[in-house]
Amino acid sequence: MHKTMQTRINIFIKKEFISSLMFSVLLLMFDQAAAQRKTTVEDDYYKIITIPVPEGILLEAGGVAAMPDGRMAVATRRGDVWTIENPNGVDGNPKFTLFASGLHEALGLLYHNGSLYSAQRGELTKLTDKNGDGKADSYETVYAWPISGHYHEYSYGPKLGSDGSFFVSGNVAFGDQEWWRGESRTPWRGWTFKIHPEGKLEPWAAGVRSPCGLGVVDGEFFYTDNQGDWVGTGGVWHLEKGDFVGHPGALKWTSLPESPLKLSTEQLYARVSARQIKKDGQYIKPSNVEQEENPDFLYQVKKDIPQLKLPAVWLPHGVLGISNSEIITDETKGNFGPFAGQLFVGDQGQSKIMRVVLEKVDGAYQGVAFDFRQGFQSGVLRMNWGTDGSMFVGETNRGWGSAGTTNSGLQRLSWTGKIPMEMLTVKSMSDGFEVEFTHPVDKVLAEDLSSYSGRSYIYKYHPVYGSPTVNEESLVIRGVKVSADRLKVRIVIDNLRQYYLHELNLSGIRSEDGLPLLHSNAYYTLNKIAAGEKLSPGEITGKRPTTTVPKKAAGVTKTASVTKAVSYAEVEPLLVKNTCTACHNVSKRQVGPSFSDIARRNYSVERIIQLIYNPEPKNWPEYATPMAPMPQVPKAEAMKIATWITGLSAK
Amino acid sequence: MSRFTLLLINIITALAIQAQDYSGMKNLELNDLSAFRTQAGNWRIVGEVLMDPSVDIHQKPASVSESGQKKAKKGTALPEHSAPQAVLPTPGKGVLLNMNDDKIKSHLLSVMEHGDIELDLELMVPKGSNSGIYLQGRYEVQILDSWGVKSPSFSDLGGIYRNWENTPGQIYMGKAPLSNPAKAPGLWQRMHIVFQAPRFDGNGKKISNARFVSVELNGVKIHDQLEVPLPTGGPVDKTEVSSGPLMIQGDHGPVAFRNIRYRILREVKPVLTGISWKVFHGQFKTISDFSSLTPAYTGAGEELTCEVLDQEDTYASIYSGKIKIPESGTYTFGLAFTGGGRLTIDGKTVIDHQSVDHWPLDRGTLQLQKGDYNFEIYNYKDAGWMPPRLAFYAAIENGKEYSLHAYNSYPPDPNPVSSILINPGSEVKLLRAFLDFSGDRAKRLTHTIGVGEPSGIHYAYDLQSGNLACVWRGEFVDATPMWHDRGDGSFRPLGSALYTFRGQPLAVLESGEAEFPTSENYVGKGYDKDPMSGRPSFNYLYRGIPVNSKIIPGTDNKFFTHEVTVKSASTVAGLKYKLAEGSVIQSMPDGSFAIDDKRYYVKVNSGGKAEIRKIAGKEELIMSFESDQISYNIIW
Repeated sequence: MHKTMQTRINIFIKKEFISSLMFSVLLLMFDQAAAQRKTTVEDDYYKIITIPVPEGILLEAGGVAAMPDGRMAVATRRGDVWTIENPNGVDGNPKFTLFASGLHEALGLLYHNGSLYSAQRGELTKLTDKNGDGKADSYETVYAWPISGHYHEYSYGPKLGSDGSFFVSGNVAFGDQEWWRGESRTPWRGWTFKIHPEGKLEPWAAGVRSPCGLGVVDGEFFYTDNQGDWVGTGGVWHLEKGDFVGHPGALKWTSLPESPLKLSTEQLYARVSARQIKKDGQYIKPSNVEQEENPDFLYQVKKDIPQLKLPAVWLPHGVLGISNSEIITDETKGNFGPFAGQLFVGDQGQSKIMRVVLEKVDGAYQGVAFDFRQGFQSGVLRMNWGTDGSMFVGETNRGWGSAGTTNSGLQRLSWTGKIPMEMLTVKSMSDGFEVEFTHPVDKVLAEDLSSYSGRSYIYKYHPVYGSPTVNEESLVIRGVKVSADRLKVRIVIDNLRQYYLHELNLSGIRSEDGLPLLHSNAYYTLNKIAAGEKLSPGEITGKRPTTTVPKKAAGVTKTASVTKAVSYAEVEPLLVKNTCTACHNVSKRQVGPSFSDIARRNYSVERIIQLIYNPEPKNWPEYATPMAPMPQVPKAEAMKIATWITGLSAK
Repeated sequence: MSRFTLLLINIITALAIQAQDYSGMKNLELNDLSAFRTQAGNWRIVGEVLMDPSVDIHQKPASVSESGQKKAKKGTALPEHSAPQAVLPTPGKGVLLNMNDDKIKSHLLSVMEHGDIELDLELMVPKGSNSGIYLQGRYEVQILDSWGVKSPSFSDLGGIYRNWENTPGQIYMGKAPLSNPAKAPGLWQRMHIVFQAPRFDGNGKKISNARFVSVELNGVKIHDQLEVPLPTGGPVDKTEVSSGPLMIQGDHGPVAFRNIRYRILREVKPVLTGISWKVFHGQFKTISDFSSLTPAYTGAGEELTCEVLDQEDTYASIYSGKIKIPESGTYTFGLAFTGGGRLTIDGKTVIDHQSVDHWPLDRGTLQLQKGDYNFEIYNYKDAGWMPPRLAFYAAIENGKEYSLHAYNSYPPDPNPVSSILINPGSEVKLLRAFLDFSGDRAKRLTHTIGVGEPSGIHYAYDLQSGNLACVWRGEFVDATPMWHDRGDGSFRPLGSALYTFRGQPLAVLESGEAEFPTSENYVGKGYDKDPMSGRPSFNYLYRGIPVNSKIIPGTDNKFFTHEVTVKSASTVAGLKYKLAEGSVIQSMPDGSFAIDDKRYYVKVNSGGKAEIRKIAGKEELIMSFESDQISYNIIW
């Protein structure tokens, strides 16, 4: 990988003399700067390279597959399948061949035994080039399933199961009057299922809403879902046959003989209200109940509905994506860095990729999620590995908008060979967590408890679109134990809460070279607290930080009138907590305009607060996704954010 | 609501505004010729007419004696007693037919005279024939047998004909139709014309041109807001007027008409006065949530407009005033808005659509006497992504629709969506999509494939029943509904789409009364692409038996050949194939069958004999398998 880059640089220099001079100068400056810098960026470790697509070819990527001869194949939402030779662009641009076309919104691609398989809206199709001319001449229907013809009934896949059958999933449709309520109009929408090669459908797990990402890890089937009605936030679920993951639409078919799940809609609604309310003859869309007394949580409902499967890893909405997509496992055997065996999960809205590490605690999967790489040119929908260990990233945002500068395309992410300073993994311990790092930590800072902070929170299970984080508490960190090789730190936490998402912030940690963590937040879904030895008090060290009192968040507002200027450091946690950062960046255009662009409009503080609660998307016609009202932002925080934004325009 | 739903609503709204409502159109009765002025006798009323598509009206006629028959002069029709085999009428009522010769060849003029008119009719042209419809007797829409013409000109079916002037400034060169949706001779073809007469000022000076607001042939728009600055060739008079008769050309060959309907569009304009409003702030879910509250502010003025709102969202408004009805009649009111809305006239609710975030155009009808009425319009919205909009329309039956609101209350969309049109290029193009059978969303086919041939004829095949569901010629498809934004997954054929029937064409019928199923014992297996031609060959299993379907374009874009091969078909007892279905199926002299009251033809090439079966209130053309393969043509 590194050598190839070097060759390209050499060619570049030979061809362009003047630019080459400048380039060499820049290169020199870069090396010097890096040595002097005390922080690094993602780009130092993983480079995003755009694949040059010939003009006229539209790659709204729906599937990316690797072929055994080094070619990559891309299926598009326009129904084409392209094979790309020399995808890395060695000594020339990649060559595109139209392998197949005419598919109905292809949302997956798999190379298997000489054919390319793709799930279209209505069927799983096997594409084969029988006469060897490089183009498919057989478009065989492996299995066609019923759909009602609603636009949202997307079908995703396939991914290969360990028994050689194909995993496919199907989106729900939406109601006509109740456009917010997902419904399943034909079997098996809202389900995941296996298609056997001989053409049989085996229903697998139910209750999915928008099951865009599928993955097979260690022979087990996983999927991602997106925030939506009944789905508080996106995440990664482990799916075993007969599981129910929460969306009621699928329950319509559980009385069919093939259904492995015997749970009816009535049984679920006896336990959680569907909130189907009519007023004056019109259905009213359910909205989040502020200061809700006894909201339902998945883990509580599971006590009465044992078929409910909790998500293995929650991806907090707005922080780790807003529209989670593909799951792939690092199978590059070290060619992609130190994360072998770990999962990467894409996001269509924030155009980035997260990293997820699973562990099994008491027989069930759970784990931790981190940010990994942002800055893709458009919504990340599909990823797959090239033969050299690059990650090819297929992108599209049509219909939803995304961060980035284009509507579609193909990029690849390649490792520079340098190992970033990261939390390699976070594991559950009986008294807290154990964090493992990619490089040894500075012992002094690691033993300073002010390097750590955290909070835990949970999402509601209700028919409303998404859920705010609720029952928030700051983590009480009693102490730490740094391992002898300084690669591991056990963090002892007094107020662990089973079932809650625990967010750890390690912004004070440094490597021995003084580098901070490239991504200092970890998000652990603590469905079970691991058994095992607690650390004895004598083993734990750490300077006690300034008092942190556990406080209930969400809805409790302290009125604080802010007249002084607000710094970025002060406002950043608010922007993250209120999910502003889901769509806005300080200076770069994302799903929404940058805060600097907003500041340039010279709104008053009061006006900005007004617009937070009641946005006017028509003021920004060049942005595809309208901003949703944010009534849940506490007034004092909105005031701070608005003040900070107005401060930006002074710069 | 999602932006997608917003888009869909905009599309539906746009369609609603153009929706053709045939109720209220007057039938031009064809029981006799009393609707027309005197003519030489070439025009007559008949019950039915059969036009043999294989016989050109100009070819040698069948003669009584075999020898010594002079060759008929080209272009001349023959006297009636040895009428060309091209046209065979049967006595009766309901069809208007012209059979002229070189002496008896009047044009036909309507008794009525018209200005603005909406005209809908069916016509049938035999092979090689020529006629024309003159609006106000002055502006000709050409009638011709233009079957299979790839690039039509003004002289093809539906073209606006040129005139024959030579003085500069007086010359009009005609206008070609936007495409050629013409069908084969002997089939009924539908024309729909909305015409606006020229306007003159008090001194008789023309202030606006005659205009074809729209001309549709077989459901395809071929002229769109087209002005005609001068009369076309051969008018009743070259002076342009505000009122004139309909004229049909009768000297160039046979032509037949039926189901002639029209409405003469009147200009009756209601007026609003004394407008006042109340505006409320808040997030209201229904009208009762705000209607009895104290408004945030009130106002009064000259115009009905939502510009009086002081904020873009979380508002409600009630507009009241008087509407002056100039003439008694049935009025259709329209209300377009964002959010929810209601219209009342003298307290009576005419339109009621309560929602926080819809964007409809709703209509309601009321019988009113001449006079003044109180109106009230309610509107509210809680949807930040939609701008405030309010439009109020009114039209008397058969009258022009007027906007009663200010322009800025419902301005045009500044960014209309660009179309995504797909065409084959030099290779066969395949595209799967949802297809609304006969354009009906309730009949959406969900597993369909469109196949576009470079020669310009195309079809859609239903992969869930193994049926050739639709054929058309012209451009391939409009993929905007599936590829703009999230889309709805469907495409529209770009051409006059001919839908055949839904359901399985191949089945074992237990008895003569058994119906063909929708999709039973059927497993689709996809298709193979021929490496040379790129054409798909469809495979499926019926009761486990392999079946193959190939659809091949015929010459000159005039038909498709469908070959259906069923392995060991002749050994399967009761196996039948449905070639077509319709209200009525008729045998034609050339061995083909006219389907569904002459909507299209089917002709069997090989594999068996077709029979007509009456079942469940319709007729079917079915056949058994004498061998493994059936081949037939679908001709239109």
